[in-house]
Amino acid sequence: MGMEQVVLLPAIPAAIFVVLALFSPLLPRRGDWLAVVGMAVVVVLALAVAFHFQDFFGHGEFDPSGENARAFEWLNLSNGLFQIDLSTYVDAITVVMLLVVSIVALMVMIYSVGYMRGEARYGWYFGALSFFTASMLLLVTAGNLMVLYFAWEAVGLASFLLIGFYWERRSAAEAAKKAFITTRIGDVGLLIGIILLWREAGTFDIQQIIEFAEGGGFDQRYLTVAMLFLFMGAVGKSAQFPLHVWLPDAMEGPTPVSALIHAATMVVAGVYLVARMLPVFDVVLVARDVVLYTGLITAFMAATMGLVASDIKRVLAYSTVSQLGFMFVALGLGSPTAAMFHLFTHAFFKALLFLGSGSVIHATHQQEIEQLGGLWRKQPLTTWTFVIGSLALAGVIPLAGFWSKDEILHAANHNLPVFVTLAVTAGLTAIYTTRLVLLTFFGEPRNHHAYEHAHESPPIMTLPLLVLAALAAVAGFVIYEGVGQALGFAGGIGQLIFAHEPEVFHFDRDLATFALAVSLGGIGIGLVYWWGTAERATRARGWAPELHALLVNRYYFDDLYQSLINYVVLGAGSVIAVFDKRVVNETGVDGGAQTVGWFGLRLKFLQTGRIPNYALAMAGGIVTLSLVAFYTS
Amino acid sequence: MSDLNFDYTLLIPELILAVAAGIVLLADAFHTELRLNRTLLPGFTVLAALAAGLTSLAWLDTSDDFATLLAVDNFTAFFRVLFAFTLATVVIGSYEFVAREIRHQGEFYAMFLLATLGASVMAASQELLTAYIGLELLSFSLYVAVSLAKRDPRSGEAGLKYVLLGGVASATLLYGLSLIYGSAGSTSYAAISETFAAGTANVELPLLLGLVLVIAGLGFKISAVPFHMWTPDAYEGAPLPVTAILSATSKAGAIALLLRLFSGPLLPVKDDWQWMLAVISLTTMVAGNLIALQQTNIKRLLAYSSIGQVGYMLLAVATISDASASALLLHLGGYTVTNLAVFMAVIAFYNRQRSERIADFRGLAETNPYLALVITAALFSLSGMPLLAGFTTKFILFQAAAQDGYLWLVAIAVVMSTISLYYYLLVIRLMYVQEPDGAPAPDPQTGRLDRPNLRWRTSPASYAVTAVLLLGTIAIGLYATPLLEAADDAAAVLFPA
Repeated sequence: MGMEQVVLLPAIPAAIFVVLALFSPLLPRRGDWLAVVGMAVVVVLALAVAFHFQDFFGHGEFDPSGENARAFEWLNLSNGLFQIDLSTYVDAITVVMLLVVSIVALMVMIYSVGYMRGEARYGWYFGALSFFTASMLLLVTAGNLMVLYFAWEAVGLASFLLIGFYWERRSAAEAAKKAFITTRIGDVGLLIGIILLWREAGTFDIQQIIEFAEGGGFDQRYLTVAMLFLFMGAVGKSAQFPLHVWLPDAMEGPTPVSALIHAATMVVAGVYLVARMLPVFDVVLVARDVVLYTGLITAFMAATMGLVASDIKRVLAYSTVSQLGFMFVALGLGSPTAAMFHLFTHAFFKALLFLGSGSVIHATHQQEIEQLGGLWRKQPLTTWTFVIGSLALAGVIPLAGFWSKDEILHAANHNLPVFVTLAVTAGLTAIYTTRLVLLTFFGEPRNHHAYEHAHESPPIMTLPLLVLAALAAVAGFVIYEGVGQALGFAGGIGQLIFAHEPEVFHFDRDLATFALAVSLGGIGIGLVYWWGTAERATRARGWAPELHALLVNRYYFDDLYQSLINYVVLGAGSVIAVFDKRVVNETGVDGGAQTVGWFGLRLKFLQTGRIPNYALAMAGGIVTLSLVAFYTS
Repeated sequence: MSDLNFDYTLLIPELILAVAAGIVLLADAFHTELRLNRTLLPGFTVLAALAAGLTSLAWLDTSDDFATLLAVDNFTAFFRVLFAFTLATVVIGSYEFVAREIRHQGEFYAMFLLATLGASVMAASQELLTAYIGLELLSFSLYVAVSLAKRDPRSGEAGLKYVLLGGVASATLLYGLSLIYGSAGSTSYAAISETFAAGTANVELPLLLGLVLVIAGLGFKISAVPFHMWTPDAYEGAPLPVTAILSATSKAGAIALLLRLFSGPLLPVKDDWQWMLAVISLTTMVAGNLIALQQTNIKRLLAYSSIGQVGYMLLAVATISDASASALLLHLGGYTVTNLAVFMAVIAFYNRQRSERIADFRGLAETNPYLALVITAALFSLSGMPLLAGFTTKFILFQAAAQDGYLWLVAIAVVMSTISLYYYLLVIRLMYVQEPDGAPAPDPQTGRLDRPNLRWRTSPASYAVTAVLLLGTIAIGLYATPLLEAADDAAAVLFPA
């Protein structure tokens, strides 16, 4: 009995998925309780892994520096090409991910019981959520890159299914397709990266690859290319520039799904991957710089787009993209501590914000913040938990976001341009967060119909809000050594997750003051600008229309990609297709024969026209091959 | 000649197929005199296929040959089972279709049996002419089968095209084989291999031309670009079950022959042909996938997508080694299962809707969610989605090819298989997003749909066949080891350690 039992964590929701997919109509309440109870068990097991309860795992303690365990052989090419084991690897990074995934998934499932009540395909929804959670848990416990890749694709598939949950709605189906294709582009890069690493290292095992890289086994340039391909996967999954376009559209899915998949778990898979492989990135600093600047560009761009978005969920989506950018910046600076810490706190407050927005949508059937306002009277619990989440996001002391953002700024201390950009982005974050809160919950109601119908959500939905609000308030304290030890760990998060040396956290008063000043300044600007009457909501538009249009149109990236697809891919396809048609076929058998009626005429036409062309193409191929063969021989 | 082994029991699976074909033909011809019910014909065909498949298991792990013409070993067994499985599946999945759409049912089933026999001979061949005869038997049976549709005038036209061009291809192949015979002085694989291994300096030109012609001739059979022109027409014009056989048995047979030829007699001259196959693999995967983007008929779409798939398979032949041969066999197995899943689902759809236009698949998720699920899973598998057969088999295939040095070609293959996702998703989107025909618009006030129940059921036979294929697709995707072991054993025959 040892850490290989960790495969139980993904196995439980996977089994529940199978049961729900097959039998959900036969179960009482379509089996939602099964998903919730199963998830609660997973939370308990994840806590057991974290706090090493003797009863659960034979030899008890998880080693923060990691432990590899082989569960069973999965594929083995007998000719020795490769062997893939279903192996697990557990270290402090894994534990952080396990806690985040299981806790947020449990909260989202409980919330969904209220939010999704009465939906068609209610049972399927919980089945798909379980499938997603299983894949995500497998992803974070995977000990080798092939298992990781499998899980990586499986979460993508789950995301596809859940974004497209309302598949009758055209926009939802389009968004699902867009998300799927965009992330697949990244995934191809990931796969190529994995293959490149395997070719040189001869193994898929992550720890062996890291050892091989640290031992100088790779050619520098080769490794740089491989890691950049690998990073492509992270860019796609974590919606980083230039593949960031899918995440805002993914908001077409049910809101709890956005909270789980598109805020707290799946989108951080890219961060997790880079953090996991960071020792290899450390060997090739060029690749690490690419990570840094990709994150930086994304963080800033997404924050500016968040300033003008008018859909409550889209604001949060841009915010997520931006915060993920922060995490990549931390990784690019070589600080897994800051990145994983921010991932940890962000998961809670962003899930809280999404679930809060779901509560608003549930009550008002309205997502446009310009149509909302004044809801604090009707939905006090939602409002105040949302405010806590927003303050955490804006980085106000002592809420969770403050500590982790501070840690990232600390890591950027020696790099002035990066530091300044991060500070500006942090300010923008505070501004758009303030705007979101003010327009949604305060001021005068702008749409009275929506306002009249608003009501506080049922307890099954507000309970998860309260739990997450509590976590969003206190999760940041795990940075302190004393808190970590009180929880039974060796120390604060900096002593569990680190690049080279464990770090004991010291409160840097100057930096903290500066960061707080930026946050409060942003909030102040937001308050001055948007506090008050209804007209203020849309005022920004008149101020700088060109800039506003640029931001609203998301820097025209979506249009650019659409025309790339239209003109380049489909264009190339149609050129070749026309060639095929001209030389050959298409009209040959398109049913025109029925309208002509006289079969013989068709045949004559066809004999004189097309078959020689077909044969001509063959002859052309033969002649070309022969000529090249003779010329080169 | 007395030392030749004329042990006819080695050929029991082939003899079963041949006899069954004769019986089916006669039973159909005299069914009024014998008072036979024609519905017995498909049942009998399936029994014959199962018998042939099961008996061929008797020679697992043996290595024997029939008069040095046909080898009976694990490689042959792999393909015998694959072909028998394909035949049984197609016949069960399409007997309703055949009863309604096909003239001369007896002939039709007999042709299927003979095509399977021909493909088995190709897979087992140890000698050029035997291989050629197997190929002709396969081709002629399919020429007839393509044109047996009752009402569809496209069928006759497709049949004619297929015959004429097939004739050209056959002639090409035969020229090629003659040139190789001329260069090596023998038609036996073993003898050719010995001769070529000793040096080919003085026969370089005829050998090269022979290789080009053989590759062109077999390239026609597997629809490699630019020898693929007949494929979309034949796929579209042929009755659906024949299209299924064309894409499964016919292609797998030609791949088996390619493997036999290029791993055996032609291996010593690898430098002469390797680049040809690499180039054709490239053109095939690029053209197939890009043209597929433009298609509006499901059969034409599948035709071009199958051309793309052939490109991946040729990649493995070009980089032939024990690893890539076993990867190719694995891929072929997975591909056959997935591909049949699509075709059987489309046949089930056609039985009800009488259409094979992609546009008519719209709303299938509502009218028949089960079929929509089968098609979705199979298309995802074809595009190489993990968890399904297509990913695992293709991954191992690419991995094996990359191992042997064609990294750039593998990179293109990966990109192409990503592009393929786009056109598969178009079909999937139609099924899930669009309203089915005959559905009223949603109520503008509530957005709710108040619609008549448009659901329909799949027939039990189609249901069973597609369920088995769907489970197979998932099983191979999750745990490919059993199939992989079978493929390894079969490939070990080609590359004895």
